[in-house]
Amino acid sequence: MSLLNWPIFSMTEFRHIKELIRLKNPTVRLDEWPVRVRGGLQIVCILEGKFEWLIEHQRHVLYPNDVVVLCPWHGYGSPTNTLEIGSLAWLTIEPTSFEPSKELFLGEWSAIAEADQKLMGRLLMTQAPMVLNNFKWVCDLLQRIETEVKQAEFAYQTRVNQLLDELLVTIVRQLSQQQNQRRDFPQAFAQLEQLLRDSLDHPWTVEEMAAVVGLGSTAFTEKVKSFSGFSPLNYLINIRIAEAMKQLRQTAKSLTDIALDTGFYSSQHFSTTFKKLTGYTPGQFRKRGTQ
Amino acid sequence: MDCIVTIDIGTTKVKVSAFDQAANLIGWRQGTYPTFHPQPNYSEQDPEQIFLTVLYALKSLLNDELTKKHKPVALVFGASMHSVLPIDKQGVPLRNAVIWADNRGRDEANALKNSDECRLIYEQTGTPVHPMSPLIKIRWFRTHTPATWFEKVYKFISIKEYIIYQLTGQLVVDQSIASSTGLFNIHTHQWEERALNYAGIQPHQLSELVPIDYSELKLKKEYVRLFRLTSAAKLIIGASDGCFATLGAGVVTEGDATITIGSSGAMRVAGKQVIKDPKQRFFNYLLNEGTYISGGPTNNGGVVFEWFVQQFGASGIHLDLEYTVNQLLIEAERVPAGAGGMLFLPYLLGERAPLWNANARGAYIGVNITHERRHFIRATVEGIIYEMHSIGKLLQQYRSIQNLYINGTYATLPLFAQVLSDVFGKKVYVNDKHDSASAGAALLALTHLGVYPDLEAAAKTIRSVESYQPNPENHERYARFTEIFDRLSQKLAEDFDALVALQ
Repeated sequence: MSLLNWPIFSMTEFRHIKELIRLKNPTVRLDEWPVRVRGGLQIVCILEGKFEWLIEHQRHVLYPNDVVVLCPWHGYGSPTNTLEIGSLAWLTIEPTSFEPSKELFLGEWSAIAEADQKLMGRLLMTQAPMVLNNFKWVCDLLQRIETEVKQAEFAYQTRVNQLLDELLVTIVRQLSQQQNQRRDFPQAFAQLEQLLRDSLDHPWTVEEMAAVVGLGSTAFTEKVKSFSGFSPLNYLINIRIAEAMKQLRQTAKSLTDIALDTGFYSSQHFSTTFKKLTGYTPGQFRKRGTQ
Repeated sequence: MDCIVTIDIGTTKVKVSAFDQAANLIGWRQGTYPTFHPQPNYSEQDPEQIFLTVLYALKSLLNDELTKKHKPVALVFGASMHSVLPIDKQGVPLRNAVIWADNRGRDEANALKNSDECRLIYEQTGTPVHPMSPLIKIRWFRTHTPATWFEKVYKFISIKEYIIYQLTGQLVVDQSIASSTGLFNIHTHQWEERALNYAGIQPHQLSELVPIDYSELKLKKEYVRLFRLTSAAKLIIGASDGCFATLGAGVVTEGDATITIGSSGAMRVAGKQVIKDPKQRFFNYLLNEGTYISGGPTNNGGVVFEWFVQQFGASGIHLDLEYTVNQLLIEAERVPAGAGGMLFLPYLLGERAPLWNANARGAYIGVNITHERRHFIRATVEGIIYEMHSIGKLLQQYRSIQNLYINGTYATLPLFAQVLSDVFGKKVYVNDKHDSASAGAALLALTHLGVYPDLEAAAKTIRSVESYQPNPENHERYARFTEIFDRLSQKLAEDFDALVALQ
């Protein structure tokens, strides 16, 4: 029997859980652990031993309590195809939708709000695959999920789904906090700026932006103001109008298309904001460029 | 009462300040914008975003209560040097602006270095041949873009020219900004043919040159309205931030020097003559016709200390940089001068003056088993200042320097200021105008409006509010360290190259 078919339990009750596996490996196994895409939203915990893996072409050395977070399209494994001695546990969730070009929707089972799921998807897309060092909490959560499934006590299905939500929220918070901890705010802010520019047409809220840098929205607003001179929403509008200025003068796109592309919900809203900021209507500004 | 509005377009932010007739700061606003690094050696900024940020900051200051009491009579512009923005015939940017920190022209700069051509260009333009220089950047565009693209470029301008163009529709460049392009003859005050030939462009591909007090700029009526100005308010083109910072520190004649340590740093002197360094280590920029600002820039200022703070400062979540900086400095103050015999070379970002070696790298040396974290903190501060001293030592071969005026976030921290004073063995002054680049811009505007007869008289109004006396014992001790420091910086060149090859 291949190593990869050692589920802890039959998962027929949880269609969204593709795998929940605990693997104790007492001897070095050659050719058992090649680099490959395993699919699903996967969370791998190192429980014992030391593993050298290639995760999306990057070499990582993993120690107990390290957690690897992977999107469905990420590949990982041993560069020598070898599975080293030690033990691992992993959970693979099969979201209803999650692709590089598609927003994350976990499925009906999750109680996480839809907007938060989308943000989670965007954060995972930009920051995963990620190794969270020494994050025992996740390993413990995995253990609790496993216990719930095995013991099948009263309302265990509900409890398992709650634990899955908790696991995901914990990981996403840690992703942005680890980011924020290692770098100073300006760097975290620069990363947010990139994310905003990459999806300008998304209706960003302050809460979402705050989550990206791993802060609460009050602290975030304060920090952004003192750092940038703008409130978070004004900063965002600034980027939107800057992009619109470029498109107005470098493309022949219609005002409505530019408005929608840069995150304005109507060309009216776009025009008034543009005029307020630049002194010109978008039409006047476009003409000015071609004179 | 009338007021002056200064607009300082820096690397990370624009700061808009209002000054009264006596050059007292009465209000300010700022807005930041990011630098993009699409490739490791690239540093670019979005010109539209900078423009919008300028508009936003200006509007919020000029629509404020404050300007009801103070009528803005003049707007004056300062900006970072060395940026390059290609625009087409319609004035539309063809790509993002390439800023001073961009190193894509390394190969071009190295190829030109040490040639006769290089020496001639440097002697005429005063800008050291380095990837920061627009001379090299335009040459890079010439050799790395398709001819069809290069032909579309109507002009190569700076970020400051673009902002002024957006506000007025006029394409002009002040001689101060022009003097930092490596394309401008600082003796004749015209574009330098030899440099233009090397870059591969014609004079008409650059903006028209004007003096720094040029005030024939006309704000578009939409902006007059947006800013709630009267059409009588003058627009003065202004100078570069480096020249303004020197003026605003009160230094426009020989005898004194300014030391700036912000994220990067520089030591500057002013004078009627250029400094002719055969090794081409100093810049000579033009403040106005007749006054040169000369000196050396260092890459490794506060940014190096911030690096230390981030790596070794604290492990708490949501680390507050300013708080941690202060905590570390308290620890460092308890260590006597010399960090227990440990020495730090701060070349984390390669170095410009005085080494001009992009491959220079950092090192702690002399570490022994008794050294603690606090010694490393102290050594880091001292290393940044030894580097400044190595610029100052060379500058003093050309100019005598009595007093040092310091500015910038880091230089004015008490520990930095005291170590500066001790290492140089000179009295160090902190001025009442903390933001000397904006103060310098205000002084130019006030001089133009007739409040002061000339810049020299304007500079004399700057007052010092704090000073640091050198401790002779520490100075003697530091002299031994700076000697080792200078020797090591030279001696390690080969090993720096070898290490860079591994990075």
